[in-house]
Order: sequence, then C-alpha cells, then structure tokens
Amino acid sequence: MAATKVPEVRDITRIERIGAHSHIRGLGLDDALEPRQVSQGMVGQLASRRAAGIILEMIKDGHIAGRAVLIAGQPGTGKTAIAMGIAQSLGPDTPFTALAGSEIFSLEMSKTEALSQAFRKAIGVRIKEETEIIEGEVVEIQIDRPATGTGAKVGKLTLKTTEMETIYDLGNKMIDSLSKEKVQAGDVITIDKATGKISKLGRSFTRARDYDAMGAQTQFVQCPEGELQKRKEVVHTVSLHEIDVINSRTQGFLALFSGDTGEIKSEVREQINAKVCEWREEGKAEIIPGVLFIDEVHMLDMECFSFLNRALESDLSPVLIMATNRGITRIRGTNYQSPHGIPIDLLDRLLIITTSPYTEKETRQILKIRCEEEDVELSEEAHTVLTRIGMETSLRYAIQLISTAGLVCRKRKGTEVQVEDIKRVYSLFLDEARSSQYMKEYQDSFLFNETQTPSMDTS
Amino acid sequence: MDAESQRVLDYLSEVEEAAEDVLTAKQQIVDLDSKRNRNREALNALKNELSDSEKVKVCFGNMFIKFPKSKTREMIQRDQEQLDKEINDLRKGLKAKVNRLNEMQGKPELRGYSLSPLSTNEVKAINSLLKR
Repeated sequence: MAATKVPEVRDITRIERIGAHSHIRGLGLDDALEPRQVSQGMVGQLASRRAAGIILEMIKDGHIAGRAVLIAGQPGTGKTAIAMGIAQSLGPDTPFTALAGSEIFSLEMSKTEALSQAFRKAIGVRIKEETEIIEGEVVEIQIDRPATGTGAKVGKLTLKTTEMETIYDLGNKMIDSLSKEKVQAGDVITIDKATGKISKLGRSFTRARDYDAMGAQTQFVQCPEGELQKRKEVVHTVSLHEIDVINSRTQGFLALFSGDTGEIKSEVREQINAKVCEWREEGKAEIIPGVLFIDEVHMLDMECFSFLNRALESDLSPVLIMATNRGITRIRGTNYQSPHGIPIDLLDRLLIITTSPYTEKETRQILKIRCEEEDVELSEEAHTVLTRIGMETSLRYAIQLISTAGLVCRKRKGTEVQVEDIKRVYSLFLDEARSSQYMKEYQDSFLFNETQTPSMDTS
Repeated sequence: MDAESQRVLDYLSEVEEAAEDVLTAKQQIVDLDSKRNRNREALNALKNELSDSEKVKVCFGNMFIKFPKSKTREMIQRDQEQLDKEINDLRKGLKAKVNRLNEMQGKPELRGYSLSPLSTNEVKAINSLLKR
C-alpha cells in the first residue's frame, strides 16, 4: 500500500510584510479634486497630488490613452507613493502594471519584448459570456428502462422553482448524464441549454432531514427563484497579454503559471490586435486602457526610449507613468546629457509632475502614519527627535529607525518608544552621511581603496 | 410640509416607481416562462401520446374544443415563438430599467452588460482565462 502523507496541520500566525508604501490607500483628494493635507496615507505634495488627481480622472473617464506622465523629484519625496495612490484609486477594474526600470534587462528576453509584454499587461479587454440555463429543484426523476435491457431509455424529469413547476421529457443522452451526476429528487441542478451539461448546485433545504445519511460535503441551497429557463451573463476582464499567451503556445494557459512565457511572436500579437479590434467593432468587447508604471525610468537605455516613443503612438496603448529621481544626467547607452536621463523627444511628449522635499511638519505626519502602520507606539519626545533625524538625514532613514527602535523597545519590555531607544538605534545604524564620513576617515584600512574616484558613475 | 421634505418624498417615490418597474418586468418574465413551459409540455404530449384519433381536445378559456392535431401543434408553436420574442424583449428592457434605478440611487452603472456576447467558439478559445 502506498504510504499516504498526512498533511501536517499547524496554526501559523500570518506575518504580514509591511511594504514601504503599504499605508497608501489613495491620492487623498476630495470630490472637487482638492488635495487634503493629510488623507489616505498621503501627506503634503499638494500640487503634485492635484495634478495626479486630474490625470486619474481622465484615465477613469477614458479620455486619455497613449499618454505619458513623468513624476520627477528628489529621492524620498513620494514619487512612488503618488503612483501607488493612483493605482489604489483606479480600483480593481482598471489594469495597473508596475515594474522597475531595471527589471527589463534579462538574458531570456529582449528589452523590447519585456517592455511590450508590460504594455500589453496594462490593457484590459472586457468581454461578456452569455449562457441559457435551466435551473431548478428536482422534484422527481422517473426513468423507464426497456424490459429487454437494451434499447432506448425514456424518462421524465420534474423541475420546480419557487414560482413554477414543469415536466421535461428525457432522451437517452440526458438520462446518461443525469445518472452520471447521480442526480436524485431534492437536488438543485442547472442544465446548460447549449451543451446539455448538468451541474449539481446542492440539495434543497426543504429536503433536509435529520436522519438523512449524507456526506459532509453535501451543500444545502435554497430552491431557486423566478423562471426556470434563465439567462446567465458574466462579464470578464482579461489583459491583452493573457490572450497573447494562450495563443502563442500549444500548451496553452499553463504557460501563464509557470512564468515561462518566453517571447511572443509579433505575428501572434498582430492577430490578437486584429481580433480584438473586430470584437470591438461588433460590440463584443470594450478596451480598457490601463496604467503602466515604470519606476526608476532613467535605468532604461536609448533603445527602450525609442521603443516607448513608438509604442505610445499605437492605438492600443495604456497610460504610461514614469518616475525618476535624476537631474541632468547621461542617457543610458549614449554619451549625451539630458534632463532626467530621458531623451528630449520623449520628454516633449510627457506631462511632467514634480515633487518637492517635505517640510518638517509633513515629515512629522508621515512618521506618525508609518508608526501606526508598523504598530509602534512613539512617545512625544521620541517623535520630535525622530522628526529631527528625518530632516537632517533622510526620511527613509528615519522610517527605518521606527521598526528597529520598536524592536529595541520591546526587548526592554517597554510599551512606548522613548528617546533612549531612538538614540540606541541611531548609534547602531549609520545613515548615509555618517557612513561616508566613516569611509573618508578610515578608507586607508579598507581593501582596494581608490582615493582618486571623484563620484559614482550612476549610468 | 416644507419644500425640502416634499423634494425628498418626490425623489423617494420616483425611486420606488423605478424599482416597481423592475419588479414588474421580472414577474412578467416569470409568468411568460411558466406559460412557455406549459406550451412545451403540450407539444411533447402531442408528439408522444399515441392516441389514434386525428383530433385532440384543446382548452380555450373554459371550454374544451376538438381540434385537429396538426393545427393545434402549429398554433402552439406560433405562440411559443411569440413568447420567446417577448421574453427576450423584456430582458433587454430590464437592463435599461435596472440601470435607471442604479443611476437614481447613485450607484455605479453595471459595466459591460451592454456588450453583445461572444460566440460559443470564441468562449471556448479563451475558456481557460474565464474559468479562474
């Protein structure tokens, strides 16, 4: 006998990872698109939030497609937060794809292929499926088998809803599938009219008895209401990329889950585009242009930028949102300097939103929100100290101190993070400025030191 | 009654009216479907009940009339087609009515239900995407 593996049952307290932007729930705008100072996890950046809100409304109404937005600003000024806010406010119906600029560099796939897949993931197609079904509770099944044992069986099936009851004559095929599904009186079933497929929904409540011996998996359902012959309409939203994938491989949709989609031939894409456009003209499909967000867009190189230029012009194009923290810098893959590391011709097509550094008050607010998110209690003085640290070093460093200080506090069995806890983690973990200071002092004792390197070449 | 409460009352009665409209249409579909099923039973009976006589007894209102078989069948079939068409029309109208009700109550419109459905072949082709 084969040894059956008994699954180990363990209660695991679910540990939720807390992301850097997990506190963002929207853009924090009121109905008139005016930004509130503190709302939905967003603090400050009023002008850029309002700008993002206008773009968001246009996306929702479907006014813009094939446009691009650039969010530019210093590190730690909430660029990704704004993009997350847009994603959250779009709701589940609009596709939102996020990727980082460096994700497209892979050995398995060309850069442009990765980009076009991302583009197509951000375009949704809404389609409708319609089926005629007969749904009812089985009152009685009567099957007459011929006395000889062979030959056509005939039978009658009585179905009812709360409103009506009727008798169906059964043919050989239906009798077979009914007995295969082990349908008996008291079951609630649906019959697909086009295919004749029978599915059992459960047993009717009215037939439930204490002494009925039945499996634990038996489900009890209400007797269906209304007419017997119903029409079921289901609306689905799928992305263009998903349609590409099932059509590009013989193994079909399995490729979606193994993650190995590989490159998709451009002919396949063209066919899909043609089919989808045909559906749209016949009124069978609606195109939902979604949002593609590329973080750290300066990591893209010249080829990608010219691809983007071209891709934005196609009629099936999503709204492209990019974020960068670079100033005037070299465009990757060239020797030319350009603002944000993006070629001028692409910059010309962008709507640019800028973010500005947070003020002390805003920093304080953000730290407070993060404390709530990370479930750390902060005393008033500690909060002030942390705000100062955030202003003098960086907001990110201060946010990182929250969880570490929380741990130190728990270690000494305190309930509220005090100034001492902050001091302790401040001495344990260096910020960027102190770390470079340390390097300058002791770099002679490090290996491979090159004193003459002027600055980091970021491209 | 002051103007404000009059306005609220007007609004509410309007919503009630729209809701009543939806319910009536639904009930009508149910009634027509039950009629359709009775007709279908009658057609089956005409086909299967092997009485030799050329004529069958048909009930009109509260009177039974002997009527030729073929004529009866033809009549019921015509009725059936008429019923199918009526139910279809009602279903189409129902969507508009539900949308009107939703709009009045400030609920978002049902998305995508105005699309025409994919054909069975097309559904089969992308079935794997739909059954998730």
